[in-house]
Amino acid sequence: MKVNPELIDEIKKYGAFDISACFNCGNCTAVCPLAKEDISFPRKLIRAGHIGLEEKLFSGAEPWHCYYCGECSATCPREAQPGEYMMALRRYQIAKYDITGLSKIFYQNGWLQTCLALGLLGAFYWLYSAYTGDFGALAGKIELAFPVYVTVALGGYLLNMYRHNIVKPLGGIKLSFKPAHIWETFLHGFTQKNFLGCEETDWWRWVSHLLVMTGYTLTLVISNLHLLEPLNKHYGFFSPASLLVWYAGLAIIVGGGSMSLRRMFKSAESSKFSHPSDWLFVVTMFLIGASMLATQYVNVTQGPESALLNGLYRFNIAVETVWILLIVPFTKWIHIFFRPLAVYFQHVKKEAEAGTAFSLSLGK
Amino acid sequence: MNDIEKIEVDALVVGSGIAGLQSALDLADQGYSVAIVEKNPSIGGKMISLSKVFPTLDCASCITTPRMASVSHHPRIQTLTYSTVDAIKREGKTFTAAVTRKPRYIGEKECISCKRCEEVCPVLLPDEYEQGMGAKKTISIPFTNAIPQFPVMHPEHCIRCGACAKACPKDCIEFLQEPAPVEIKAKAVILATGYETTPMTAKKQYGLGALPNVLSPMAAERLLAPHGPYGRVLRPSDGKVPGSIAYVQCAGSRDKSIGVPYCSRVCCMYAIKQAILLSGSLPIADITIYYMDIRAFGKGYEQFYNNARAMGINFVKAKVARVTEDAEHNPIVRIERQEGTSAPEEVKHDLVVLSQGLVPGCDGTAFGLGVQNNDFGFVQLSDEMVSSAVTAGAGVFAAGTVKGPRDIPDSVVDAGAAAMEAVSYMRKL
Repeated sequence: MKVNPELIDEIKKYGAFDISACFNCGNCTAVCPLAKEDISFPRKLIRAGHIGLEEKLFSGAEPWHCYYCGECSATCPREAQPGEYMMALRRYQIAKYDITGLSKIFYQNGWLQTCLALGLLGAFYWLYSAYTGDFGALAGKIELAFPVYVTVALGGYLLNMYRHNIVKPLGGIKLSFKPAHIWETFLHGFTQKNFLGCEETDWWRWVSHLLVMTGYTLTLVISNLHLLEPLNKHYGFFSPASLLVWYAGLAIIVGGGSMSLRRMFKSAESSKFSHPSDWLFVVTMFLIGASMLATQYVNVTQGPESALLNGLYRFNIAVETVWILLIVPFTKWIHIFFRPLAVYFQHVKKEAEAGTAFSLSLGK
Repeated sequence: MNDIEKIEVDALVVGSGIAGLQSALDLADQGYSVAIVEKNPSIGGKMISLSKVFPTLDCASCITTPRMASVSHHPRIQTLTYSTVDAIKREGKTFTAAVTRKPRYIGEKECISCKRCEEVCPVLLPDEYEQGMGAKKTISIPFTNAIPQFPVMHPEHCIRCGACAKACPKDCIEFLQEPAPVEIKAKAVILATGYETTPMTAKKQYGLGALPNVLSPMAAERLLAPHGPYGRVLRPSDGKVPGSIAYVQCAGSRDKSIGVPYCSRVCCMYAIKQAILLSGSLPIADITIYYMDIRAFGKGYEQFYNNARAMGINFVKAKVARVTEDAEHNPIVRIERQEGTSAPEEVKHDLVVLSQGLVPGCDGTAFGLGVQNNDFGFVQLSDEMVSSAVTAGAGVFAAGTVKGPRDIPDSVVDAGAAAMEAVSYMRKL
């Protein structure tokens, strides 16, 4: 097994600044309500990080089984912040699985991330003031590119994660087609129900996640199916399209707003440490919800000809574009895919051990 | 204010644990007069309530009681028990301490320690000397080998039945006794106020002291003491003889999450000592010590630890994350077994002892003598490299655990050092 002596310093770039204080007592794993016999974390992973076992760190789905309830960090005798280490490992894995290598640059240089975000916003400010064409059509083009873009990015992640989690350690392609496993994967994807396994259930955190998730999915549906043409049509307050927007916008604002407030006031163990990418995520999310809501509200009250509407809509498109191009594929957004996949891979590993997995071994 | 009791001595020693006793004796044997002030009804401190000491397994009272007797009979030592130091003022080269004698509600000059009052008293209280496990009378002598052998009455529990007053052959029960002020003038002060163990409520994951079969180390000492509350090792909830006992190391120190980041130096050794004693009194019991690392640093300590391992005491490297209990009050500890699958595991025991650490017993800066505390609330030495007893306050010296956690041999040695520093200070006055 290859040892990378610089590994721990590399992981520290992703956020786990205090992890060198760890003296390997195992309190974190013992206190963790989600750690199990086959998914034991955080101590084992911290140890692997300290002794430079790189492969162990990117071949395990453990980071995605952690929901950062913060119990480990709150009780750590050394205040080594094992919860934040798990967060850093998630960022590390995103960067490792990313085929473009962009995530790595973004994560390791918070300022670069911010600069690029500002740059893109600046570009759209320019577009906003100088572009005279049809904004709806521009939005349509961007949205058209979106599925292709996301598929390529996601496909890369998925293949890499699969390669490191299953193919390499188990020596071949293994799959499980059991309906129960597939159902559980989807269930976790939509509800993140492992959240509720934490010792003192942080209901509000779970609800705000659920709000953001449903609101955001709805936003995707609205924009990708072209349900909304605010510059051409006049919508009623209770028209079906408006109702969808009200829900999506409010859900994002309430959920995203609460996430931002928690980070601002560091109210929970999980919100004590904020990486620039976390801020970028919650703030942009909040702006998307707010601008979408405002656009629809102005359309309903003032009609599609309003100059204010035009401005708001341009702003909305600008933020969404930055979001789609930059934030979605390269930062924490991607965790909504990794978490359910981690659940699935765990099932595959178990099946493989039991010898019941669908198997395609690769010739040596 | 004519009736105020005035005492003039060379040195004032605050606290009468093993360090206070030793420095008082060392001073008095060199010809200096000493006053000892002790807040409890008996001298002897924490050590007198211990069963045995590590690593020799000597009887703790056999070492403490001769010193207690020497102090109480020494012609140059005055002991003020059940008394508190309220303030100390420095005037020129003299310290003036305002001390309050708390009322025992008996005439100390008359009392012959016959225990008649204790025998007839009808009210029973949990005995704090036995860590709440046994019972004592509302008027009673604190414990068998207490010095002085005077009973103390607790008026908040007394029902004023008068049985003690009727039984007393010397007619010395004084229901109307009041706190009495004492003024002590001295040239030097030795602080020997000792430690407290980390409170059982320090860590919420360990049950906050509400689990009946999760004990403090002091309670375990009492269970093991020959004259302890039950006379043998039984668990408090139901009197069952425990078949499986666990020690949770670093339960009250080396843990930043409870604000005690330092190592308390004695917990590894007292846990090993208690484990060895337990395997003597309960030969078939399983004894497990959950530890982060064993710090056996003193003379003979490593040998002691190895003996314990060889005796079959089970040492498991794991920091206990939680202690809970089942319906029968069997404590359950949650650990990560690092040598096995690394899975979190819940292990059930009959009795669990939390190896609590040592925290400051008394704030040394409270007297305003220029003494300073370190980051953890213990008295700071002015220069550790130069002296182990000199504090930042001129004429104020520190002995024993008031300066930080240490074991009994270390406390005795540096109590002697504090006495020597006090002498050389007084000779220069």
